[in-house]
Amino acid sequence: MLLAVDHIDVFYGSARVLSEVSLQARQGEVVFIVGRNGAGKTTMLKTIAGFLHPGRGAITFAGQDITGLTPDKVARLGIRYVFQDKRVFTKLTVKENIELAAYAAGVKLSEALERMLQIYPKISRFLDSTAGGLSGGQRQLLLIGRAMVGSPRLLLIDEPTEGLAAGTIEEVLKVLELMRGEVTMVIVEQNLSVVSRLADRIYCMKEGHIPAALSEPADIQNQSYLETYL
Amino acid sequence: MNLSLTLPEAFVALLRKFDVLVIIALFLLLTLLISMDRTIEFMIFCIFVLAYDVLYGYMGRLSFGHMLYLGTGAYAFALTGELISSNPFLALLVAVASGALLGLILGPIIVRTTGACFALINLAFNQLGFFLALVAFSKWTGGEDGMSVYVDKVWIFDFSRKTTVFCFALLSLIVVIFLMRRLTNSLFGLLLRGIKENETRVQFLGYDTFAVKMVAFIISTSLSAFAGALFILNYSYVTTSFIDPLRSVEVIFASLIGGAGSVYGALAGGVSYKLISNYLPNYVQRWEMFLGVILLLLVFKFRAGVWGYITAWYQRLEATPAGKSGQPPEVGR
Repeated sequence: MLLAVDHIDVFYGSARVLSEVSLQARQGEVVFIVGRNGAGKTTMLKTIAGFLHPGRGAITFAGQDITGLTPDKVARLGIRYVFQDKRVFTKLTVKENIELAAYAAGVKLSEALERMLQIYPKISRFLDSTAGGLSGGQRQLLLIGRAMVGSPRLLLIDEPTEGLAAGTIEEVLKVLELMRGEVTMVIVEQNLSVVSRLADRIYCMKEGHIPAALSEPADIQNQSYLETYL
Repeated sequence: MNLSLTLPEAFVALLRKFDVLVIIALFLLLTLLISMDRTIEFMIFCIFVLAYDVLYGYMGRLSFGHMLYLGTGAYAFALTGELISSNPFLALLVAVASGALLGLILGPIIVRTTGACFALINLAFNQLGFFLALVAFSKWTGGEDGMSVYVDKVWIFDFSRKTTVFCFALLSLIVVIFLMRRLTNSLFGLLLRGIKENETRVQFLGYDTFAVKMVAFIISTSLSAFAGALFILNYSYVTTSFIDPLRSVEVIFASLIGGAGSVYGALAGGVSYKLISNYLPNYVQRWEMFLGVILLLLVFKFRAGVWGYITAWYQRLEATPAGKSGQPPEVGR
């Protein structure tokens, strides 16, 4: 097991937003978390990434207890977080955005650019442009590509297709399919066609709990069942 | 030939290639236009603005109490000269070390904060430092009266001669500009800009942003202390005005006027502010009011500052076909 979240409770002040939540991801798996707004999906990712710390329970990554580690330490273990809001460093150029990731991952800029271009070749036209000028889809692909610099082991992606046009969603999906097997992914998503197409395992969240976990192909394709959680 | 396009282009190209020489030439020209004394003051103030810009321009942290670090350097220089040795270089070294030490001590408290909290904590410490210099340590600092400082001649460096101080201040400014450019064009500079935009995202890339901010803070306090020491080298006396928190507004104004986050912007701001504050009082009785109007205009209309607008104008120029080719645009099509 690469990632094991074991019965964690997470609080915002005195309010418990995650309660007794457990989640697992095997090496190379694509795991989805689905649920309504406010169900605790993003909180779950932020807790794994070290931005929030559980009040109870434990998070283990590759056999190491990462509960309570700060985000930079979690990132250095090979866990990358792609935020929901597609916010790149808008005032830096695309190349500088990649450079920051390259140095953090301990790889050369040339290698990082090569990796980026494998994932998203079209970005080559914008390398010297400020990232603030990119469209939502381009930003998302830059963020995913940037997260893949230095061969991470686990990618946490928050709503990768939210607010994107159909054509761009397809582009993002192709990139995610390209990365399948190479990196373990835990993805928060509400678009069920995306979930059914990529998922190896699905966790359904509701009001800070996980009442259902699906791993059988028939269950994963059962969109009418999944819809009850949206 | 369209001179309105080619002349600015030529100027910018010249500035880019020989910027250090251009800066030296401009300050030499300034000695002819105003005076050597004032030019020295301008150059040292520019070093202070550059130091401030590390925090404000690059890292996005506005400090209302940066006079503390300048004052620390000034008093460290003066007290070293008075109590330890009259060697000016030793005093300069002690001043920079004092700035760094103060940064190291206060940094862990200050750099954890952002926004108004960052600005006000600096102000609070500045107020504390001002009180210490004015009252608590007045036995050593001379309190309100201040203290005179004498330094020895070392080799060819006779700082009682204004030309020596001018050359040393100019050399110091050039070295600081060089260091700042190396710093801001490096990965460290990129990290500072990243932190300015979104610190959390930088953390999620795997960077310890606290360490980065501490280094930036210590660089800024050390350079400010260096500027403070240079002021005392120039004036040969120190008073509490060098640590007065009210004067922090000067460096903030200079940064805003010039354009934060750029070496040239800091220089343009430093010189512009000093020109305004030195010469405007000759023509306008309540010149501070005029400065207030400038601040309002900067905040509401010209947030990029002088250099920001020059850069934006040049980028627009470059983007036009004529700007790229050096040929005039085609007419009548």
